[in-house]
Amino acid sequence: MASFPPRVNEKEIVRSRTIGELLAPAAPFDKKCGRENWTVAFAPDGSYFAWSQGHRTVKLVPWSQSLKNFLLHGTKNVTNSSSLRLPRQNSDGGQKNKPREHIIDCGDIVWSLAFGSSVPEKQSRCVNIEWHRFRFGQDQLLLATGLNNGRIKIWDVYTGKLLLNLVDHTEVVRDLTFAPDGSLILVSASRDKTLRVWDLKDDGNMMKVLRGHQNWVYSCAFSPNSSMLCSVGASKAVFLWNMDKYTMIRKLEGHHHDVVACDFSPDGALLATASYDTRVFIWDPYNGDILMEFGHLFPPPTPIFAGGANDRWVRAVSFSHDGLHVASLADDKMVRFWRIDEDYPVQIAPLSNGLCCAFSTDGSVLAAGTHDGSVYFWATPRQVPSLQHLCRMSIRRVMTTQEVQELPVPSKVLEFLSYRI
Amino acid sequence: MERRKTYDGCEGPDAMYVKLMSSDAHEFVVKREPALASGTIKVMVSGPGQFAENEPIRSIVERPLHILHMYFTYKVCYTKNSTKLPIAPEIALELVMAVNFLDC
Repeated sequence: MASFPPRVNEKEIVRSRTIGELLAPAAPFDKKCGRENWTVAFAPDGSYFAWSQGHRTVKLVPWSQSLKNFLLHGTKNVTNSSSLRLPRQNSDGGQKNKPREHIIDCGDIVWSLAFGSSVPEKQSRCVNIEWHRFRFGQDQLLLATGLNNGRIKIWDVYTGKLLLNLVDHTEVVRDLTFAPDGSLILVSASRDKTLRVWDLKDDGNMMKVLRGHQNWVYSCAFSPNSSMLCSVGASKAVFLWNMDKYTMIRKLEGHHHDVVACDFSPDGALLATASYDTRVFIWDPYNGDILMEFGHLFPPPTPIFAGGANDRWVRAVSFSHDGLHVASLADDKMVRFWRIDEDYPVQIAPLSNGLCCAFSTDGSVLAAGTHDGSVYFWATPRQVPSLQHLCRMSIRRVMTTQEVQELPVPSKVLEFLSYRI
Repeated sequence: MERRKTYDGCEGPDAMYVKLMSSDAHEFVVKREPALASGTIKVMVSGPGQFAENEPIRSIVERPLHILHMYFTYKVCYTKNSTKLPIAPEIALELVMAVNFLDC
């Protein structure tokens, strides 16, 4: 069965340029599982990359150094020599200037990772600030790790120390995400069918439990203005939550199988979801319409086949920072880069057993983690966005689709602003 | 020491510059090649002589045109870079209609 629409010649699609790879160290003993890299993450300021190597360890890699190594030494990352090159004497001034590599032992299989940094203006929701153990300052970077036993551990990235241990989930914490507004609100999605909202500025106080899923919750994502949260899970579930009142806004229907990944576009006007039914859907989160469908199997499978083991599960999807490209990983050993206005990929790259992907903070690199614990990096397709698109993103950051429909502009421009071309 | 450069004019099909006039009579003289990023300007400039060389673009006021000029330069200089061009939402609405006309 084909991976591309019949009118597309696979050989004509451009192959992405590889930047580098981080290969997992050889296991001390041969284990069938426990090596998987379920999540990759970049720090919001681009300083670190978190690599969950499997076997319970997370390695915090200083990203700019790593990138320089890739470019200097070709594609293989010589991790040993780079850690030796770091200065031995680690004075306080040096700590901020040269990010150090850290290896963190989490004590259990790591399923999810998220970086969070705080913005001091965002007040904590709790009134009694003087009782808090931690005052998260401006230069604090946190890493949250979600584990197999349901615990979430919060680490300080610069020192590698454990700060908080959040205990409430009873099953695997499958995904974690911080609110992008710097308020250090953390949302965790778990196989125990709930999502929990934690306030890290309030010492990790759990504020709310979001119930509604009937089955495993696979992933969650905040909209860029932190007003909405999307959670996806087994049994075709795609839910949108209002994060001011913690109520469910709507359920998005359309997938035929478990939905395993979701991501908002940088202006919050589009939502991408990936499912085991071989498809990625691009939705308008404000009214639940499906705007685009990216297929990974041709001819498209019937609903019965799509709902079962069709060998073409899409495992991960990620929006690029220019709001025009989407990357997806599927079980046919390929990474695909899509433009949001074409229904066939603009670039592809080979990848076996890919599980997760994430764009770097500046959007120039895509990292993908695999089943054996390694990470591979590619250059993202870059082009100067049209001025129309830049205007559209600027407008959609502040306007919902309903507000856009009220604008006194010609209908063609309205369609363009609503991403309906 | 003051350097004096002579520039080619805006007249004629081989001119190095094009003059864009907004509806409130601001004139922008921009280099021809980056301005061709706009499909409409390309047609106007290199088309079969139906548009007068310095016909003002009537629907556009000065402020969006200024950003348009920034965009042309941005496009030429930053094709490989990831620098962002900041656009405030208030201007974006006027700009999106102008840019829809100019197709760029």
